[in-house]
Parts: sequence; C-alpha cells; structure tokens
Amino acid sequence: MSKTMETFKPGLMLLLVAAVAALVLGLVNLFTAGRIAAIAEETMNAAMQAVLPAASYTDTGFESDGEIDAIYASANGGWVVQVTESGSQGLVTMMVGVSPDYACTGISITESSETAGLGAIAGQPSEKGEAFRAQFVGQSGTVAVTKEGGSIDAISGATITSKAVCRGVTAALAACRSLGGGASVPTVTVLGGSDGPGETAVTQPASTGPASAEPSMG
Amino acid sequence: MLASIVSISLGAILVNNFIFSQFLGLCPFLGVSNKMSTATGMSVAVIFVMTMASAICWVINTYLLIPLGLKFMQTVAYILVIAVLVQFVEMFLKKSIPSLYSAMGIFLPLITTNCAVLGVVLLNTQNNYNFLESVVYGFTGGVGFTLAIVLFASVRERLEFADYPKAFEGFAICLVAAALFALAFMGFSGMKIL
Amino acid sequence: MNRNKQFFEGVISNNPVLVQQIGLCATMAISTTLFNGLGMGLSVLIILTCCNVVVAAIRKIIPEQVRLAIFVVVIAGFVTIVDLLLQAFIPALSSALGVFIPLIVVNCIIIGRAEAFSSKNSVKDSFFDGVFQGVGYTLVLICMCLFRELLGSGTIGGGLLNGAKSFITLDGTGAGLRIFPETYAAGALVLPFGGFLTLGLLMALLQHILSKSAAKKAAKEKEETT
Repeated sequence: MSKTMETFKPGLMLLLVAAVAALVLGLVNLFTAGRIAAIAEETMNAAMQAVLPAASYTDTGFESDGEIDAIYASANGGWVVQVTESGSQGLVTMMVGVSPDYACTGISITESSETAGLGAIAGQPSEKGEAFRAQFVGQSGTVAVTKEGGSIDAISGATITSKAVCRGVTAALAACRSLGGGASVPTVTVLGGSDGPGETAVTQPASTGPASAEPSMG
Repeated sequence: MLASIVSISLGAILVNNFIFSQFLGLCPFLGVSNKMSTATGMSVAVIFVMTMASAICWVINTYLLIPLGLKFMQTVAYILVIAVLVQFVEMFLKKSIPSLYSAMGIFLPLITTNCAVLGVVLLNTQNNYNFLESVVYGFTGGVGFTLAIVLFASVRERLEFADYPKAFEGFAICLVAAALFALAFMGFSGMKIL
Repeated sequence: MNRNKQFFEGVISNNPVLVQQIGLCATMAISTTLFNGLGMGLSVLIILTCCNVVVAAIRKIIPEQVRLAIFVVVIAGFVTIVDLLLQAFIPALSSALGVFIPLIVVNCIIIGRAEAFSSKNSVKDSFFDGVFQGVGYTLVLICMCLFRELLGSGTIGGGLLNGAKSFITLDGTGAGLRIFPETYAAGALVLPFGGFLTLGLLMALLQHILSKSAAKKAAKEKEETT
C-alpha cells in the first residue's frame, strides 16, 4: 500500500499543482476576458475612426481570402477594410479606409511585429510614422513604392514592411472595387434586416453610377 | 503553398534568424558555443525538439485548447508538452540509440528552458500557421539556430587567441562579436521570395 | 539572513543579467524604449517574487523527481496571470512586448532562482530574494533602454513620457522627451545589433568596476597586514 503510494505520489502532486494552476487561471480569465474583448473592439473602432470617420460601420460579410480579413461599410459612404499582409518579421494587420470613389482615405496599422526602429515605424505615432502613413491618403489603383514605379517613399531600411503596406492598400482598393456600388451595397446585401442604424443612415453617393444596381458580392 | 513554405524556411534560417534577429535561444547559444563539437551536438537536439514540439503543440492547440475554450492555458500547456517531450526523447534515446544519447544526452535537459523552443511554438500560434507550416517553421528555425551556433563557435575558437581589454573577458567580448554577426545577418533582410 | 548583503548581491555582485548571465534574450530584445524596459522589468519582478514565495512555501511537500515540472507549472501559471492582466489593463505594453511576455516562462532567472534559492530557503528570505533579483534585472533593463533609446533615436522615456506636455502617459503613446533630432541618431542601436553591443559593453563595464574594487580591497588588506 505505502509502496504504491510512493510511486504515484510524484504524479499526483504534479496533477494537483496543475489543477490548482488551471483553476486559478480560469478565474483570472473569467475576470479579464470581457475586458480584453472590449479593449480589442475599442482599438479596432479607434483604428476605423482614424482612417474613415463615421457614426457606425456594418460588416459586409466579405469572405476572408487570406489577405482581406473583413470589409466594413461606413454609414457615411465608403468602406474600412481590414487587411493582413506578411511583412518582414511576421504578419502586419492594418485598417484601410476607402472612399466611395475607390481612393484611400487613410491607413492605420493595428498589429505588427516588425523590427523596432525600422519596420515598426510604419505603425508608430512618431513623426516619421505619420509622414509614411499620410502618403497613402488619396492613392487609388495600384499603390507601390517609388522603387517599383509607385509614389510611396518607403521607410528607409524597411522596404519589405513598406511594400507589404502598399500591397495591403492595393488589395483593399481592389476588393472594394469588386464589391462595387459605392456605399449603397450594404443596404442591399447586409445580413439580416435593414433596421440597423448603419443601413438606414446611408446616403446614396453621386458617383455610384450603374454599379449600384449590382447586388451581388462574395 | 510551396511559395509560403519556401518563404517561411528562408525567413527562419536567414532573414529572421532566431538568434541574430529575434533574440531567441541566447542562453544555450552563448553557453555551448565555445567548442565546435558541443555546438553541433546541441544543434541536433534543438532541431529535433523544435520540430516535434511544433507538431505536437499545433495538434493540442487546434483539437484541444481551442474547442474547449482554453486558449488562456496555451503557455502552460506548451511548456508542459515541451518538458514531457524532452524527458521522453531522453528516455527513448537512452534505451534504443545509446550512441546518439551519449552525443546529445547532456544537452537535452537544457532544451526545456531554451526559449527558442517555446518561442517557435508561440510564434506558430501567433502567425496562425497550419500544421505543415508549423512543422516547417519549427524545423527551419532549428536549422537557423544551428547555422548561427556553428558559425559562432568557429569565431569563438579564434577569440581565445585574440587580444582584447581585460574587462571584456568572458561573455562580454562574445556579445560584441555576436553584435557584428547580427549586423551581417541584417544584410539578408532584403531577401524575399514571393 | 543579512538583507543589505542580499540586496547588494541581487543588484550588483550577483546581478542576474550581468554576472549570472541568464535571462539575456528578453533583455536584448525589448530594451528599445523605457516603457518596454520598465514594463518588462516590473513584470519579471512580480512573477519572480510570486514564484519564489510559492516554491518556498511548498518546498517541503514536493517530490524530488517532478520538482522541475512543478516549478515550471507554477511559473507558467503566474506568467499567464500577468499576461492576461496586462492584456486587460495595459494593452499597449502587452502588444509592445508581444511574445516576450509568455516567454518569461523560460526566462532562466526565474527557474534558476527557484532551483538555486527558494527551494532551499524560507518564504521570507525567498520573498526578498525575488524582489532584489527583480530589482537587479529591472535596473539593467533601464540602463540598456536609456542608452539605446537616447543614442538610437534621440529621445528619453519613449512611450512613458509625452514630450509636448511633459506628462507621464501609461498607454504607451508618449513620444518621449526629445534630446536631439532623430536625423542625428545612430538608428542601428535600436536594431538587434545594438542589443548585443549594448549588453556586451555594460557587462564589460561592470566587470571592470568589480575587478577594480576587488583590487582595491586586496591592496587595502595587504596594507593592513604589513
């Protein structure tokens, strides 16, 4: 009896410690999970407001394709696109604002693990970072760095990050173009009814043209 | 698919080398790089454990932790997997391949606290890699570690005969040499296969 | 146990980073701004102290064979708690430190102190050991951050101080106090290269000071004996 106890004691102790740890972590998680989710939402909202201010945004239900994560239609016309590109150190997630006539209204980098002092500048609130991001405002079509014939000055020493951001903006613009219909799309296609504030508040932009007749999307 | 594999491999070995650009696995890097033979022994053990840990942790995370809503237990689960894996590999080698055990046996316990191993597993989760990508990242991350440690071991063998200020004795001069290596590896940062 | 001696050991003569030469990874990786350095240092201090206390408290009932596994679970538990709390209350720090917060689990300082100190000493001594070693770690991080940030980007206290209003900000948005224009900064110091170099220089400096004071002591003793 005592011998079997001796052999099982280490395992049991380990199990006990692990169980206590799991219990405590569960409690901490219970306490923090709501807050973490709220912060994530808040950060996302702040990033969206920064690139294309609007009263509300509606998810267009755009199917993620590995590059575009989601497209949100703004209540004031235009879209905010969440794009993920691979940078030099890992993934770079950004919010790209797109106006109803498919021009970029601003970008904001929400998540990246680029090198501090180089690629990380793209997402920082510093002078250099602001200057880099400001270049994207008003861009349309294919956006590229100057080296590749575009008009974006890459951050020195961080060409890969700069290129990744350019690719992201280009993909976002193209995705919105494929959605078509300026800002009128959400009224037609958004999942569920039309009682949300985002859908009813939509004003038809003048530039939509024939594309607004197309209700289809991905 | 192939492109992403190639790009992950290239990144892990050269561009984002675990040691010279991500600062992962420095303790064993400085600890065992003083002799070429120990450096290679450690490297083999690290490649093996990193590949295995990437595979097992991916399965555990995808089929156990995420469905059960236990994402907050990731760190605890991963480190336990690594500790158990290392112990298991040690026992297995001791019994079945004694020659290999005597070559890399002493390094195995050290690997549990090698942050490159836990680092690769956490990065797999963070980058949302699929199973194949995780395993490739684990393996090539280990290869990158090997490259760094073998290159550095040969430099350290030379350092013994170098004439430098007394205050720099020991790790200090090694860190300065490693700094130059990091500078050289920055040259790879322009490389990218699409 | 002599607290003054313990403090001196933790901060200088047995400093975890500069003398014991462990826990180097995070030290070099995140010491780019004061905000990161202070955040990392305090996180490690808290985790180290908690782990030391718990390990010392249960040191008599844990079986020898699974000792390390139990330490690792205790450490991983505390690290996850700190990780979750940071995500919930200081999200800027959590995203700046990224993967290096969960990596505190394999920071050799913590498992090293658990094995070498708190598994053999009383709860009270272990508590102070945790605090002092944590302070030693934090001080090294602060030194490295100040050096790399000042010379690498020309600012002090990035993320923590807001230059324009000279306010202390806790959300990591402060641009830091600008000492000289960014154009004159040696940007390479913020890169991995700078991490290795700075730590190498700091280590050499402490070795120089310690050897000098040892030589002085030896000379003094010699004088006294003659």
